[in-house]
Amino acid sequence: MRYHIILRYIGIILLLNASFLFVSAVISFFNNDSGLFPLLYTCLIATLFGAFPFIFVPSAEEISNKEGFTIVVTSWLISCLIGMVPYVLWGGEFTATNAWFESVSGFTTTGSSILTDIENVPLGLLFWRSATHWIGGVGIIIFVLSVLPSMGKIGMVLYRTETSPLAAANFRYRTKKTIRIIMFVYVGLTILETIALMVCGMNVFDAVTHSFATIATGGFSPKNASIAHYHSMPIETVIIIFMILSGINFGLLFVTLSGNIRALFKSTVVKFYLGMLAVGVALAAVNIHGTIYPLWVDAFRYAAFQIISIGTSTGFATTDSNLWPPFAQVLILFFTLQCACSGSTSGGIKTDRSVLFWHAIKQRITKFQHPHAVLKTKVDGVAIDDDTLDASLLFIALYIVIVFLSTLAICFMGIDIMTAFSASAATMGNVGPGFGLVGTVSNFSQIPELGKWILTGDMLLGRLEIYGLLLFFLLKSWK
Amino acid sequence: MGLRPKILLGFLILATMLLVAGGWSIYELSNIGISVQRLLDDNYKSIDAAKSMTEALEREDSAILLLLLGKRDEGREILRSADNSFEKAFETARNNVTISGEQGYVEAIRINYDTYKKLWAQNIAGTAKEGDLNWYFSDIHSSFLNVKSAVKKLMDLNDKTMYKTASNLEGRAHRATMPGVIAIISAFIFAVIFSFLVNLLVVSPIIRITSGIHDYLETGKSFNVKIETTDELSHLASSVRSLIERSKL
Repeated sequence: MRYHIILRYIGIILLLNASFLFVSAVISFFNNDSGLFPLLYTCLIATLFGAFPFIFVPSAEEISNKEGFTIVVTSWLISCLIGMVPYVLWGGEFTATNAWFESVSGFTTTGSSILTDIENVPLGLLFWRSATHWIGGVGIIIFVLSVLPSMGKIGMVLYRTETSPLAAANFRYRTKKTIRIIMFVYVGLTILETIALMVCGMNVFDAVTHSFATIATGGFSPKNASIAHYHSMPIETVIIIFMILSGINFGLLFVTLSGNIRALFKSTVVKFYLGMLAVGVALAAVNIHGTIYPLWVDAFRYAAFQIISIGTSTGFATTDSNLWPPFAQVLILFFTLQCACSGSTSGGIKTDRSVLFWHAIKQRITKFQHPHAVLKTKVDGVAIDDDTLDASLLFIALYIVIVFLSTLAICFMGIDIMTAFSASAATMGNVGPGFGLVGTVSNFSQIPELGKWILTGDMLLGRLEIYGLLLFFLLKSWK
Repeated sequence: MGLRPKILLGFLILATMLLVAGGWSIYELSNIGISVQRLLDDNYKSIDAAKSMTEALEREDSAILLLLLGKRDEGREILRSADNSFEKAFETARNNVTISGEQGYVEAIRINYDTYKKLWAQNIAGTAKEGDLNWYFSDIHSSFLNVKSAVKKLMDLNDKTMYKTASNLEGRAHRATMPGVIAIISAFIFAVIFSFLVNLLVVSPIIRITSGIHDYLETGKSFNVKIETTDELSHLASSVRSLIERSKL
């Protein structure tokens, strides 16, 4: 493996981070806050570290899959490392562990926070916190590939490694065009939501940071009470719309935006995703009506926001779902595990795998009825090969096992089972809030230090779809 | 880019990281110094003045009790001296208004003290008020408590601000030390990367060129060393290749 080539491309990732750090530092400068020096110094370190291998190491014409894979995983880890530096430098609630937690949570678009008083953090740092969502949301490598003029075969290898294998089916273009489409949809949605939120009365800073967090399905808000701070139905409606859109495969969104609206509603995965959300909202609303909210309008309003926020792995909050009845809480836990479509910025098991899971069960039942039948699973007329089906089912099984092991470890530290399970599921699914100590109106500050490290491991495993991180630690066995 | 600027760039990066971290630490440390000075100037001075005022008030209260006992000269003497001390301390507090809301507290002290002073400025010893403890408790003592409470409010405000400033100092101290820590870690990582790249892209090609020349001289094996970079080393390799080709002719 050519480590110097890996260093060169990680350098480019650091330069990308440096540019966002610089913008955050400019915000700090104009706001005259204490985030300026931490952001500027981190920007300097990222620039120096990034520029040096970029200048020193000559570019390569090709990279191997193994090198591409190492670049992708290392980019995530290095970005999380550089992302924690401004937090550590600023101090306050940010110990080394807390800064790492906040940074990983940002880049993996989890949105879980250790901050007890978010509004005490300088605006520049808050902008950086949201920017980590935006960089991580679309994928760090995709971001770089879209900015750089051409990386030829290298770009293709990196793109293949970065994207979810399930998402590829919806993109039938060349790598460069696919990346352009993803970025077009990503940036376009961000701009549209920013404008819509400003129209609804948010200031520019809040609108931009909330748009970053929504489109990346992250969940970091610059307000202590998250979206509940605004008590505004129009703001909640705008965010709900953009959360739903951000949970749909960007390739499909592009096709829809190009005029083919039917394509969106023809897709089994999208129908399943929207159907599940609708059923979830209706059931939650019925459950919380009367017990928590006397009015139907309030029950639907809060149920819609909470279910869609969790069901798209965003994690914003308008109410304390810790107070909801057990049925509604279990419903939220289901969405915490499933989340939205692949090819979007969402985390979790993903709707695509859920669809495959139900198809596999249907197929198994048919097989019981007709043992000699030759069956082929088809989604939207496309035959799914057994490898993909097996990989998806294995992924779901591995996912649940990791959540279980993580829950076990957190419980061992003296944390109650609801907190431990929901925290593990929420971090693994890159959702954000859970229940108990880590509910929608609280944070992860009460989780023990070791627990925070375990949960950041979950976030990275979830973001890199498990195999990514596991393969990275088994690189030596990869010949 | 040539070898010299590349290596120079590496050292420059190391130097920049350490210089900026050092500069920032110095800036934060000097700010800590300024903050400590401000802490002493702004808050401690006011707290000290408030303590002096309280002490003066206590002495005035004792002097009033002496007047009530009929000891006019002794009482008046203590009152005069305590009043001077109070006014002096009050002037210090009045000229040291640095916190928002402090002005209001200073004005409250002035108003309450003037009311209190009016009560004891009149003749007490040798009048009907001598020995009148009811008058003392109903008028004098309540007025004394009002002034004392106003002074205490001023002291509390400055106490709180002093605590807040001291807490900020903790944050500043953190900000003064952390760049150094980060710079040391970064410099170490950078030094490792730098030496790795120098070894891979400078030392290793030199070894390969030397080995290629050696192989040619010993076994006549053709010089076939490929250099990835476009710097002095690739020029050296192509020069050696040309030299060998010429020597073959």
